[in-house]
Formats: sequence, structure tokens, C-alpha cells
Amino acid sequence: MTGARTFRVTTSLADKMSRPGGRTAAAALTAATTALEGHREAAMQTLVETLEQLQALAAARDDAEHGQVYERAAALLDLAGFFETGPLYDAAYSLCETSDGMRDNGAWHWPSIEVHLQALGLILADDCRETEASRTLLEGLAGVRERRTRRA
Amino acid sequence: MSRAIHPDSRVNLERSTLLLIDDNPQALDILSSIVHGFGVKEQIKCASAVEAVGVIKRRPVDLILIDCAMPEMDGYDFVRWLRREGPKSASYTPVIMLTGHAAPSAVQKSRDCGASFIIAKPLTPLVLLQRIVWLSRDEREFVECETYVGPDRRVRNYGPPLGMAGRRKGDLSTHVGAAIQENMDQSEIDMMMKPVKVSL
Repeated sequence: MTGARTFRVTTSLADKMSRPGGRTAAAALTAATTALEGHREAAMQTLVETLEQLQALAAARDDAEHGQVYERAAALLDLAGFFETGPLYDAAYSLCETSDGMRDNGAWHWPSIEVHLQALGLILADDCRETEASRTLLEGLAGVRERRTRRA
Repeated sequence: MSRAIHPDSRVNLERSTLLLIDDNPQALDILSSIVHGFGVKEQIKCASAVEAVGVIKRRPVDLILIDCAMPEMDGYDFVRWLRREGPKSASYTPVIMLTGHAAPSAVQKSRDCGASFIIAKPLTPLVLLQRIVWLSRDEREFVECETYVGPDRRVRNYGPPLGMAGRRKGDLSTHVGAAIQENMDQSEIDMMMKPVKVSL
């Protein structure tokens, strides 16, 4: 392949979506949101279980499991990201950033993981509500994250 | 609802086949429920990108939603395969990638893989529907070169499609508007094309 070739493509998606029929955007969104809400309870249960797995990893402090901590944190974030979980999502994101950064710069620090897990537990226990307490927790996590990933 | 999609505008996904790929079965079910709500009647769910490669080789789909982070073959590698090595009939299929946490190492991969869109979570039905509608009106050209195969990433030149929120004053468009004057007659056209002597 030499040089760049640019061309126009009409996709089958564009063709099919341009045909008459379907439903209104409002109806589509209402149906999708209702369907999504049907998964909330099970998802919240999974979030609790994932947090328990992370707590077990932190308790064991096995340095061979750094990657597993990141993987579990990413799984937590993935699922939380489907729902309005506000501070929980932010705390999970912070855990991903912190664990990924510490893994990359070779300066793993278990207490930084533990403080994230404690914050996640508190936020979950408070039904992921955005409160003054959750804001304070997130500020604290931001400080930890900043300090622990600075060397990266 | 955002101005980007009018609540009364119609969204027709009844005839479209969607391929959903996520190694997390719970996330896959949630995604499936959302697109079912959008009116999608045919969807194929795959628990891995490797499984999805098999599907793509067997049959066409209209839109692919794929999670970025997966073991064995991740979403970025899947899109790269689709664009470069996939069946010709499928290689231009729109792909929306979903990502939770993007590790720095994945940023360049995501930029270069050729996905139509990458949506960072939190993901709401509204954001997903907006992106699907956007893709159905996508004006971007496709680019094929040594280092990249996918939709033109220079989106700032075109901006969002006409009629959608977020367009800026200088955004270009390939839409040809309706004629506002009568057609020129042939003699006028000939005059425009005729070589004319000019004094320099």
C-alpha cells in the first residue's frame, strides 16, 4: 500500500436507518432506560462481590497479584459505568489510575489500594449518593492518586 | 434529552443486525437490553473477539459494539483485523468501542485501530443512541494507508453531521444544498469555460 486512499462509503447501517419505520427517539430511550434499570439490582450485587474480591487481594498483599488488582478495578469500573453511580464510578476510576500508575512505575503501595477500597465500601454503603462526605473521600483519593502516580 | 436527537425524530434499527462483543456476560446482557430498547430485533452476542471474528467471516452485520479490554484479542486488535484483514464486505462496518479505564498504553492503540467511535463510560442510553444516529449520518470519508485504515480522524474539518448539536461555524459539509436559483443555460456555462485572452 503506497500513499493514502480516501473514499466515501455508504454503510448498510445508514441505508437501513434511513428507511421509514422504527420508533421515536423518546420511546427508544424510555425503553432502553427501563431495560437498563432492570439490571441495576444484580449489577449492584456484582459490584459488592467485586469489591470483596479486591479486599481479599489487598488483605493477602501478594505482590504477584498487582495485575489482578487492576483487572478487578477495571471490572468494577466497567459495570459501574452503566449506571448513575456518581462517586462510586469516580472512586473506581481513581483506583484504576492508581493501580495502573503504580504498576507501571514499579512503586506498588498496598495502603493506597486499601484506602481506595475503604472509600468504595463507604460510598456503596451510602447507595452511591453524592454527598459532602463522598466529595471529601474523592478529594482524599485524588491526593493519594497524585502522589502515587507522580513518578510514572 | 439533548438537542442532538429530537425526541420525536424516528430511529429505525428494526432491520439492523448488531454484533455485541464483551467478555463480561453481565455487561453483555446490559448492552443487549439497551439496544433491544432501541428497537434492534436481531443481535448477535459474542463473549470474545475471537468468536466475533468467526461471526464476521460467516455473515454481514450492520453495526458492531465492542468492549476495548478483553483477554486474548482485545477490542483494538479486533477492529484492526476487521479493517485490514476482514472480509471486504465487512471491513467498513461502523464500530463503536466502549471503554471503562483506558490505560496510557491503550491510548495510541485506540487512536490507530480504525474504530468509528470510542465511548468512555459512564455510558447512558442517550449517549449510545446519539452515537448510533451520528454514525448513520456519518459524512467522514474512509482512509486507507500504510499506517491506518478507518474513518477519517480529521473530524474537526467536518464536525458532527448537519442538524446535530456541536457543529462549529467553520465545519465543512459535503451536503449539497437545495438549488436557490434557476439552472444556468448552456451558453452561460460555455462562457465560463471559454478561454479568454487577458492582458497581463
